[in-house]
This record gives sequence, C-alpha cells and structure tokens, in this order.
Amino acid sequence: MPGTRVTTHRLVHIYRSEGHEVAALSGVDLDVPAGGMVGLLGPSGAGKSTLLNLLAGVFRPSAGKIFIGDLELSSASDRHLDVMRAQDVSLMLQGAQRNLLPYYTPYENVRFAQGAARRAGKDVPQPDEVLETVGLADHAHTDLAALTPGHLQLAALAVAMAPQPGLLLADEPTSQLDHPARDRVLERMSVANRELGTTVVIVTHDPDVSAYLPRTITIRDGRVGGEGRSGEEYAVITPDGFLPLPLHVREELLPGTLVRFHRNEHGEYVLITEEQADG
Amino acid sequence: MRFRYRPFQAVVIALLAALVTACAAFAPLYDRAMRQALADIVIDRTPPQFSGLQVTGTVDQEYGFGYHSQAPPPEPELVLSKVPPDLRAHYRDPIMGYSALVMRSPGGLTDPRSELLWRDRQCEHLEMVDGACPSAAGEIAVSQADADQFGLTTGTTFEVAGVPGNGRHPAPTSTDLTVAGVYRQVPGDYWFGTTLTGRSGTSDPVPPSHIQGDVWVTPRTTFESRDLPTLPQATSSVDLPLDRDAVGVDDLLAMGTAIDDLSGRTNSISGASLSYLSGMSDLAEDVRAQTGQSRVTVPLLMAQLGLLAVVVLWLVLLAVTEQRRPEVALARLRGRGRRGARRLLVGELLPVALAGVVPGVALALLGTWFARSVVLPGSAPFELRLPLLYALLIAVAVLTLVTVVAVVRVTREPVVTLLRRVPPRRTGWSLGVADALLIAGCGSVVVVFATGGLDGPVALAAPGLLAIVVGLVLAHLTTPTASLVGGRMLRRGRVRAGVSVVDAARSPATRRVVAIVTLATALAVFSADALLVGDRNRQSAAEQEAGAPAVAEISGTDVRAVRAALADVDPDGRLATPVVRTVPANNTARVTVAVVPDQFRRIAIFPDGGPSAAVWDRLQASDDQPIAFAGGHVDLTLTDSTLRSQRVAGGPQPITFGIDVEIVDTGETLHVALGEIPKPAKQVDLDADVSCASGCNLTGIWLGTLPGATMRGKATVGALTTDDGAVPLGPAGQWNGFLDTTKGSIRPAEGSGDDLVLEVDGRGADELTMPQSWIPGQLPALVAGSLPPGSSENRFTLTGLDAEDQPAARAGTITRVPAGGPETSVVNLDLALRGTELAPTDRLSVWLADDDPALLDRVRAALADHQVRIANVRTLSDVRRSYDESAAAWSLQLAALVGGAALLIALLVLVVSAVSSWRFRTRDLAALRMAGVPPRSIGSMSVASQLPAVVVGVVAGTAAGLYGAHLALPIVPLFADAPLVSTLDLGIAWGAVLLAALAALVVLGLGGALIGRAMARRSDLQRLRETI
Repeated sequence: MPGTRVTTHRLVHIYRSEGHEVAALSGVDLDVPAGGMVGLLGPSGAGKSTLLNLLAGVFRPSAGKIFIGDLELSSASDRHLDVMRAQDVSLMLQGAQRNLLPYYTPYENVRFAQGAARRAGKDVPQPDEVLETVGLADHAHTDLAALTPGHLQLAALAVAMAPQPGLLLADEPTSQLDHPARDRVLERMSVANRELGTTVVIVTHDPDVSAYLPRTITIRDGRVGGEGRSGEEYAVITPDGFLPLPLHVREELLPGTLVRFHRNEHGEYVLITEEQADG
Repeated sequence: MRFRYRPFQAVVIALLAALVTACAAFAPLYDRAMRQALADIVIDRTPPQFSGLQVTGTVDQEYGFGYHSQAPPPEPELVLSKVPPDLRAHYRDPIMGYSALVMRSPGGLTDPRSELLWRDRQCEHLEMVDGACPSAAGEIAVSQADADQFGLTTGTTFEVAGVPGNGRHPAPTSTDLTVAGVYRQVPGDYWFGTTLTGRSGTSDPVPPSHIQGDVWVTPRTTFESRDLPTLPQATSSVDLPLDRDAVGVDDLLAMGTAIDDLSGRTNSISGASLSYLSGMSDLAEDVRAQTGQSRVTVPLLMAQLGLLAVVVLWLVLLAVTEQRRPEVALARLRGRGRRGARRLLVGELLPVALAGVVPGVALALLGTWFARSVVLPGSAPFELRLPLLYALLIAVAVLTLVTVVAVVRVTREPVVTLLRRVPPRRTGWSLGVADALLIAGCGSVVVVFATGGLDGPVALAAPGLLAIVVGLVLAHLTTPTASLVGGRMLRRGRVRAGVSVVDAARSPATRRVVAIVTLATALAVFSADALLVGDRNRQSAAEQEAGAPAVAEISGTDVRAVRAALADVDPDGRLATPVVRTVPANNTARVTVAVVPDQFRRIAIFPDGGPSAAVWDRLQASDDQPIAFAGGHVDLTLTDSTLRSQRVAGGPQPITFGIDVEIVDTGETLHVALGEIPKPAKQVDLDADVSCASGCNLTGIWLGTLPGATMRGKATVGALTTDDGAVPLGPAGQWNGFLDTTKGSIRPAEGSGDDLVLEVDGRGADELTMPQSWIPGQLPALVAGSLPPGSSENRFTLTGLDAEDQPAARAGTITRVPAGGPETSVVNLDLALRGTELAPTDRLSVWLADDDPALLDRVRAALADHQVRIANVRTLSDVRRSYDESAAAWSLQLAALVGGAALLIALLVLVVSAVSSWRFRTRDLAALRMAGVPPRSIGSMSVASQLPAVVVGVVAGTAAGLYGAHLALPIVPLFADAPLVSTLDLGIAWGAVLLAALAALVVLGLGGALIGRAMARRSDLQRLRETI
C-alpha cells in the first residue's frame, strides 16, 4: 500500500485549562508527501507532540486544516476517525508499554491491533509476518514482562504496523532505548518506510535520530521553525512571507533589529542589518 | 488469560458478584425453607383431629304421625370414596367408624345414655382391664366408671332401643348388648381427640337431662348386622390422619382450598349427607398470612445487603475500569471505536463477574443449609424451585448492567482524556451527574416514605437508600472539608495530624470509603436494632401473654383447697399465687381477674413495670369483721314489726325473712329462710337449721315476697341465737344499706342495745338483701382499658366471681394486666370471695415465680394432697417459643447475618481501595521520608490518615441507620398475629445500636490502621523513582 500524504494549512491549536488559553500551535503549514519520512524536532513545549496528536486525530484543531490523504480531520466524524485509525494511521505512543495490552503476547497484540482493519475488510498480513518484519518473530509468544525494552519497542512498532497503515506517527520511539536497540528500531522503521511505502513522522529529541532521518522539521513556538534536508538546516518562509530566523541567528539579531535582503552578484540572498548597511 | 494478569482484581470482582448473587438467591431459598419449616411447625402444633380430615355420613330420621324411622348410615368405605383421590393421597390409612346414641331400656332418667362406637383397629388402642375386647355383634366394652356407676360388669346384658327401619331395612326395634370387657383408653393420635371417658354419671345438659355414660365400644357387626336394629342417630365416619412427613407447604395450602371447596358443596351418598371437618383451612390461612409477612422482612434485609454489595461492586468496577484507561485508549487508537473498546472491557470483566454467580449460588445454598439445620426448626426439605431461577436471572441482569455501565463510563471518554497518564482528580466540591441523580432519586424516595406517601416493596429499601444519600453527600463534602481542616492544622503547626488529614483528602479512595462505610454501618445499625427490637417485643408479648414464668391451670374451682395447698408449699406467697379469672359472656365484656395483691405483684410479670405498691394497696380489704357464729340451728326474734307486703292488684302477702351465711371451711354460701312474717306484729320468732357446726359468717339479711309486691315497714331484729349462744346483730354500723332506684331499699338503723332495726322500702323486687359490712359493697378494682358504658365517675359494674354483676369502684388504673385482655379489672381475691363462690365457668390457676420443674412438682403434689389436679401448665418459655417459631421471627434473624456481612463488605472496600491506590499513596509517604520525616512518624501519619474516613462514615452511618430504623420498623412484621394486648415498643435498642456502631468502628478502624501500617512499610524511597 502506498503511503499517505500529510498536509496541514495554517494549523492552530489552543489548549484551554482552568480559564487560561495557551496556543500550542500558531499556524503550522506542513506537507509530508506519501512515502516520506520526517522527524519533528524542537524543544519541550514547542508543540511537536501536539502536532503529532492532531495528525492522529486525537485532538481537533482550533483552526486550520489537516489532510490525511484525502480526509480532512477538522471536520471528520468520529466514525471516520475510527476508520482512519483502523486502516490508515497508526500512532506509537511514547513508552513502549503504553502501546501494548499487558496481558497479551506480541503476537496477540498484533492480532488485536489488526482487528478493526480486518473487520473493515482490509487485507492485512498475518501477525507472524508483521513480527517477522520488525524482527521479533522469535518472541512472538513471549510474555511482555519477559521482553527487553528494545524488544518491547519493536513489539510496539509491530503493533503500530499491524494494519499496514499509510501513515505511522511515532512519539519519541527511541527515548528509553540503548543505542543498539535504538538503531534497530530506526532501521525497522526505515524498512517499513522504504519497503512498504509507509509515510513516517517521528517526534524526537535525539540528535542521532534526527541525523538518521532524511528530512526534519523543527517546531518552535508553535510554528515551523526550520527544516533539515540531508543534514542541512533551512529556514522556511511561511505562506504569509514571514521567515523565522534560526535560533543561533536570533541570539545575535535582537527583536527590533532592521534588516534587508540583498542579492549579490552570484545571485545569492544576503541578509544585511541596518548597522552593516550604514557602516 | 487476562484474569491471570490481575488475579486479585478478578477475585474481588468475582467475590462481590458472588455476594450479589448470594443475596438474590438466598432470599427465595430462605423464604422457601422458612415456609416449609412453618408448615412443619403449624402441623406439629395442631392436634390430629384438626390437621386430619373427618368425613361423617349422617342419615336423618324420618318422622311421621306417631312414628319415626331411619335408614342405616352408609358404609364407611362408601364415605371414603367421596374423598377425592388427590386429596386422599395426603393422608395415612383411614380409620373407619360407626357411632350411635343408645340408652339402656326402659330409658328412665337414671338409665345411662351413651355413645356406641366402633373404630377400625380399636382393640389395638384399648387396654382391657377386665374381660375381652368385644368381637361379636351386640358385644360392648365399657369404662371402669360405667362398670362401677351402672353395674355394667363383664357378662352383664341389657337392652337398648333401636329405631324402626324405614321399610328398606326391616329389623327389630330393640336389641341386647352384652358387656364383654372393661377397657382403659390408651391415649394417642389414633383417637383423633375423642375421649371415651369422663361423662359417666354426669347429667346430659340437654333436657330431659338423662344420666350419661362413657363411650361403649363395640365391633363393626353391631352396626351392620341385619339381626340388630338401626341404632338411634347412627352415623358412619372416616377419620383420615394427615401424613405429616409427606405434606409440604404447597400441599398444605392446596389442601386448605380443596377442603374448603369440598365443604362448600352439598355432598350426599346413599341418602346420607356427608360433612367434612378439618382445621386445614385455618392452618393454610395461618401459613399464608405468615409467609406474607416474610415477604416483607426477608427482602427488606437481603435487598439492602444486595444493594450494598452492588454499590461496592460498582465502586470496584469503577476503580478497575479506571485502571484500564490506557487499554481503552489503545483500542480507540487502533480504530476499534467506542463500541470496540467497550467490547474489550466487557469481554474481560463480565465473564469474571458472571463467574461469581456459581459460587454465589453455592454460598446461598450453604447459607440455606445452615438456616435449615440451625435456625429453622423441623426438617425443611432441600428444594430448587423456579423463584431461584428468577433470582439468578435478576442477579445476572444486575451484574451485567453494573459491569456494562461502569465500562461505558470509561469508554465514552474522548481519546485525549484516556491518554492522560493520571486521570483528572478533583479536590474541591464537585458532584457528577450520576451521583447527583442518585442522591436526588434516593433522597426523593426517602422523603416520600418519611412523609407517609410510600408503602410496599420500595419502602423496604428506605433505610438503604437513606444511607446512600447520606454517604454520597458526605463523601463529596469530605474531601474539601478535609483539605480545609488539614490545611488549617498545618498552618497551626500540627504537622502530623495535618498531614494525615491532608493525605486523606488527597486520597482518591476517601470518598469511596466514606460512602461505603456509611452505608455498611447504617445497615449494621439498622439490622442490630431490628433484631433486638424484634426480640424485645417478642419477649414483652410473651410475658404479657404468659403472665408469669409458669402458670398451672387448675381443674375445677376449689379456690380454698388451692390456697390451702399453696400455703403448705409456699407460706410466704413468694413462689406461687392463686389467680381466678372470670370468663366473659361475650368477646366485648370485661374480664375480672381476682388476685392476692401482694403475691401477684411479686410473681406476675409486668412488661412495663406495673403499678406501684401504693396502687396495689388500694385493693386491700377493709378492717370490717364478719359476724361469725357456729351451730346447727339458729333462732331469731323480730319485734315491733310494721313490715307488710302488698300486691298492686291483690291483697297482703307474707314476707319471708332469711339470712345468708358462708360456711367458713368451704366458702359455700347458704341462703337460709328463717320463716314468714305474716303481717305487722309485736313479736315474731323465727328459726331454721343451718349447716354451721364448723363455723359460719353471717353475710346478709334478706326479705322476700312475691314478685311485683311492695314491701314496706320497719322491724327490730334481735340477736342471732345458736346452740353456742347469742350473736348480736347490732350495731347498725356492721351493715351496709342496699338502695336501688327500681328495686327499693333496705337500710340498717340503730336499735336499743345490740338490736338492729331494719327499714324496708321494697318497690316490687321479690327479694331485698342487706349485706353485712364485711362484704364489700363496692369492690375496689384496678382497671385496664376504659370503664364499661353506664359507669358513673369511677363506679361501674364488673362480673363477680359468682358470674353475677358486682358493683365496683375504680381504685386505680393498670396499663396492662398480665395474661389479661385489654378490658380487664383486677380485684382482691379475698375481698371478691367474701360471701360468694366461684362460678363453674371461672378459670382458676396457680401462677409460679419460676418455671423450675422441682417447684412445679412440689405444687402439684401439694394440690394433689388437697384433691386438686393441674389440668395443664404453660411456661413463659413455651409462649416465647411459640412467638419465636414464626416467619416474622425467622425473617428478622437474617438481620444478624446482614449486619455482619455489611461490615465485612466495608472491610473489603478498604482493602480494595488500598490496593488500587497504594502506589500513589506510598509515593506521597516516600516523599515525606525524603523530606526527612522519621519513619515512625510516617507510620503513625499513614495509620491516622485512614481513620477520618472510617470515623466519619461510622458516625454518619449510625445516624442514618437509626433514622432508617425509625422509618422502616413500623412496617416490619414482628409477630405472626398481633397480640391481644399490644406491648409494642419500637424504641431504639440502644445497646444493640451502640454495639453495632462500636463493632463497625473496631473492625473498620482496625482494618484501616493495618492498611495504613502496610502502606507505611512500602513507602521506601524507591517509590519516588516509579512512574505513576
């Protein structure tokens, strides 16, 4: 099955708590093509997990639109969301055990995760095949309590991949793993992305993980703050024409600083402050 | 698989489900066992002639001009054939019989008239004292009394008259009967209550009052032989003894209806009319009424226990489903939707809950077995009937409903809420919709019930519903209040207590514990109160009905012999006292009870304490002395008599002068006429023989004339002269005048010396009596109930011991007379006996201060020495047993079970709450430890934090239970039948209530303390590293 494209337009999400309102996302525009593999980076509280939950249909956006394939989530009914989660979108929660029913083996968990898709008539692989894909076939029928953290995370990945979703959303999938386990999990996710065409969106803090990913998007203050492609970091101009400065530049160019863009003789854009221009 | 992961939760859920099921299943099982026991008891208590069926075939005599005739009665087998087979099946082998009324020829008043009787297998139940059991037609066996009284010794032959046949059965009109032997009746159920002896030598109360003989027993052939005449009033009969072992409560109820139907029809066979006699209808009615009562109490108690179990199950399920929020979230994230998530939880929890049904049924069966073996008398059979199935279906429905609702509550939450690791907790006042609805609903029912607008089954749940309301409101108030109080304590430096209270406020289990402890304590308090109030009322009713620890009914009315016998056994009158009771002519008449006040006050039981000694003293006799004399002949002289009697339409009539005397030894009263006073005369000498050799008291002087004639005048009465000397009749103060507005008057007046002057003004009464002042003119009486109509102020008329009207004066009131009815007068026996004798209808009894058999034996022996026999003895414990062996009492015994179970359930809630929140709480304690609080202080704070919820719940539950008892006890049946005199006291049984509250405090407080200690032990610093 080909992956699912993810698009957001001017996505806004506001938390309301005890009379206070906090804007977690303030107009996020994002486009992840089908079969893409993207990491969402950013400091704590930047809004990356919120964005991930919005993409999974867990939250409804306060404003803006989200398209998961052809489905627009802000106006989708609960039933449509259920169908979407059953067949097309899998969310891996942070902490492997939160993705698993504690009384089931990996095999049974995978089968459980396929239940809704099967009922909807989707052709899904056998649980053994899924476990084979993530490299956990040897532990298919082992009690969860007997699995290592790495195996548990692989089991969580298997559960997420069980219905062969078009979109895999993973929240810190490697946060509690040692390096070999982390690499194994990332490798399996890459395999899923590569071989099955699944679109993968990963929230991570880990620079090693982000380095592993072909594309990263940095969320900062509820907005897309930058994008990395193949190890290079870029700022992204918003549809309104705004350009969020990279963090290290912001430390030098204080608010109120006047700048202008200059195109040099090589056709490159150069940002010149008023001070530089006068000097 | 899933249960293995959380075995403790599964066990708790299954246990509670088992309890709910047991409550539902036990009610019909116990109710059924109770009915069976009730049927057993009722049948056992009933004499065979009432529990059995007697069918009698009677052929009426045919009367014509100058003749009468009668066909023979139908054969008993024919009579038996008229008993429907399905009814017949409930009885043992029938006892056939014939009877007739025969009289020895020639039929004079001194010729005995007896019942001639044949009963199947009769010789097996007779002991032949002489001769042999009769076996040939015309042979009879007689009693020893008849043999002695009428000379009917073995071998004697005499003739009895028969009835001419009606043409179909020509036979001789008389026959000879030959005495084959003398029998003694062997008592037993076989005789169906028939006593063969006891009438020999007595007069037939029906004119012309032939002398009666005992029953003459004869073989069947006497009635069926063609050589013998049809005997007068011959009947055939079949007695069917009830097969007690085979008749259950359903049979009993059906038989009552069947026999009613049978009796209501006109039944005849071969020209004979059939009558059916049985007490089965009354028994069925009794059982029906009592089982109706059990339908109130059993559900009242079991439904509330079931309600508690359901509430606890609900709370446990809430905790369990709360714990499964991540799993529900997973199901939702995997696209299963709300329905799929619901299926996931229901699929896990419902089988566990339903698995509790099986042990629940087993528990109910075990409880019923225990009840049948220990609590209920008799041997109620083990039965599995349809109501059990209904109860199980209800239990399954309730378990399913509770489980599904608890699951739905979680699964309908949005995914985002489900994904939160810690569910939102409220520390301030907040009331969920469900709780608000529950409080409003339960509260409405309680209010409607309290204002008298509700009755029936819903009303039975009032105490439980009230406790739910109180518990929930309190639970919601506790957390904010505890936060407030704890905060204040901390600010004032009371760290340890403050932390404990704040800990309690922070604990998510506090609300749950407060609600459940309130409900459980309320139930325990209500149950204890109901149990003890029932017990107390049965005891009071039994004491009121029995009158004394033991009461021996005396055969006959020889009160003086009884008193003499009691004086031998108990000279001080502390152990036994005589009591005489008049039998009223109708149900509404007042009963007079004559007692020896000092003795009666000590020996009789007064459930409410009885009158004071001063009140009893008002019954004491006056100081007046009788005019005593002795001799076999008395002379008396009247002087200056102006007495004359005149009829309205006639001439002068003679006046009879007489005296009333009482023989001191026997109490017998003699009405002696001394002679006539023909006309006014200067002197009239009168005399008569009297049986006063052993001593008499002169109790009255009377004058008599013809009815309707007047009597007027004066006369001076001189001294009464006997063989022993003269007895002066003056002064006038020794006499009470008699005045009646319709009859006239006779008054004493002073004469010269010891003479007595009579002033007479008779207005048509045939006799005027002037009583001696020793005879009470008005009998002082303590009165229970209201005075009879026609009483003026405190003066009224009661029934004297001679069954005649007796003027009386109310000397005081008495709330209830022991063993007396609501309208009873208590008089002094000594006073009431003066100048009178007991009527044959009076009931004489000896009341004993103790039911010690040794005392009874001594009294029995002393009475026997005075030729007095005890007819029967009834003890207080007998009466109490009869109250205890009733559906009402058995139903209330469930209260003990319910109270205990309620506390255990509450204890279970404490444990479950601790288990479901121990991580959270031990982390708090670990944080304190980290902050440097010593382990010992942490231990005491942890223990103390458990107690506020328990104390608050116990106090509130006690109050709710008391008010619930106040509301519900009036509708709880305490007796099978309301006692004749109500001793109802629904006052709070404070001892039981305090004990129940204390038990709740100790059990739950101790449980809470142990849990607190266990928490403290687990509060090591490792907990702080755990992720909640």
